Amino acid sequence: MDAIVRLTDLHKRFDALHVLKGVSLAVQPREVICLIGRSGSGKSTLLRSINFLEEPDAGAVEVDGIVVTPELDTRTRRQRIREIRLRTGMVFQEFNLFPHKSVIDNVIEALLVVKRLPKPQALEIAENFLRKVGLIDKRDEYPSRLSGGQKQRVAIARALAMEPKVMLFDEPTSALDPELIGEVIKVMEDLANDGMTMLVVTHEMSFARDAADRVIFMEDGIFVEEGTPDEIFTAPRDPRTQQFLQRHIRG
Amino acid sequence: MSFRYQLALVWAAIFACIIAFLSLIRLDLGFIGEWWGFIVYGAGNPDAWTVGIVATLYISLASILLAILLAFLGALGRLSKHPIAYGVATFYVSLVRGTPLLIQIFILFFGLPQINQQLNRVFPGFEQQFPFISSLLVLPALPTGILALGINYGAYMTEVFRAGIQSVGRGQIEAATALGMTPGQTLWRIVLPQAVRVVIPPIGNDFIAMTKDSALVSVIGVQELLWRSQKVGVQNFRSMETLLIAAAFYWIMTIVLQAVQSQIEKRLARSDR
Repeated sequence: MDAIVRLTDLHKRFDALHVLKGVSLAVQPREVICLIGRSGSGKSTLLRSINFLEEPDAGAVEVDGIVVTPELDTRTRRQRIREIRLRTGMVFQEFNLFPHKSVIDNVIEALLVVKRLPKPQALEIAENFLRKVGLIDKRDEYPSRLSGGQKQRVAIARALAMEPKVMLFDEPTSALDPELIGEVIKVMEDLANDGMTMLVVTHEMSFARDAADRVIFMEDGIFVEEGTPDEIFTAPRDPRTQQFLQRHIRG
Repeated sequence: MSFRYQLALVWAAIFACIIAFLSLIRLDLGFIGEWWGFIVYGAGNPDAWTVGIVATLYISLASILLAILLAFLGALGRLSKHPIAYGVATFYVSLVRGTPLLIQIFILFFGLPQINQQLNRVFPGFEQQFPFISSLLVLPALPTGILALGINYGAYMTEVFRAGIQSVGRGQIEAATALGMTPGQTLWRIVLPQAVRVVIPPIGNDFIAMTKDSALVSVIGVQELLWRSQKVGVQNFRSMETLLIAAAFYWIMTIVLQAVQSQIEKRLARSDR
């Protein structure tokens, strides 16, 4: 099957810091990939390069057949980046809900202004996805009245409502109190079971073990090791992976 | 003794001192009673309620609206990576904040007509061919005053607006961008509505300060509160009386506006989510 996301030899520098040192990755449709590694290893930058919140300095990003390279002329590039953003949904560590809008308005915002759907249709879609994450009863609340876990579930519904081909999760549970992590993980697992293509940067090893098809361990801007959760968690080959996992898996 | 009671006593004592001072300088209370209405709102004149404190208020209102527009553009320039936009905005802020408001009022009032004169000399018939541009250069005192106050406050408020826009987190912009919104949509629908909440209280403060700074446009002959009090005072050799009338009404106006502002801020705080 053709890959839905294909990254080819991606490089990213922040001034002197070489954050991505030539990363290549092909993601199959319906595949769930977890990126693990220390903070600063480049995994968030990699994720944010896919929807161009970070602009790679070199290398190609391809999503659903749309290819963007730094060599393209500005106009074409801009158009294609927009096309890619319409095909990807992103969930952030800090939720980033719009605080001046109610839950339902957060979800319909992009449906109205980006997809230009009529309001009744946008409301119907939004309500469906709020039901899916179990928050339809919070429809008219403002984000400040929600718990962290609820906020993140709204953020997931907001991204899903745009019907993306790929979902990008950037440490979705790292800002949550421990007792609220479960409800977000549950929503993500349901999504994985529904066949959503997902790229997840996470420190939640139990999620990686249970839900991922493939786990990638990153360090210093390269893939050190990748494999099935079994291969990575029970028999890591590289000493750097072993050391990282020893620190991160308790019990 | 409760604190409020003590406070009332202190204020009463200060008032007593002021009254003692005023009677020492033999203030003419009868004169004040006779003239305050004429000074403050033009009592008994055909132009009543268009001059004095009313003029002060609408000059301030028009100027603050102009200032908000300029401050918004200035803030966008300050935040722009484009060298022209950034350069123009920083130059505007630096020049206007670096010179006295009084000089700015004079320069606009005397300088603009000089440009018109010069244009007429270089291009004979300029005034006849471009009457509109010409009329913009030879403005009456009132619009000149509004222009000067608006330009001046716009420069100070540029920094306030910039801070307001920057107070909206980077994550908000990223979330909107990831959803496919354009930079313009992100600015209008996500950033500005949140920035407005931050800048409303300082705009209120600036408006209240403006009502008092607007007294400066009396120097070019705008018939606002100070101008009228000075005219009447000089003609009757009762300047202290008329200045006190003006001062009292500026004070009352400030107190009223502050009360209005605190109501607005309370409402904002209540709807703060």
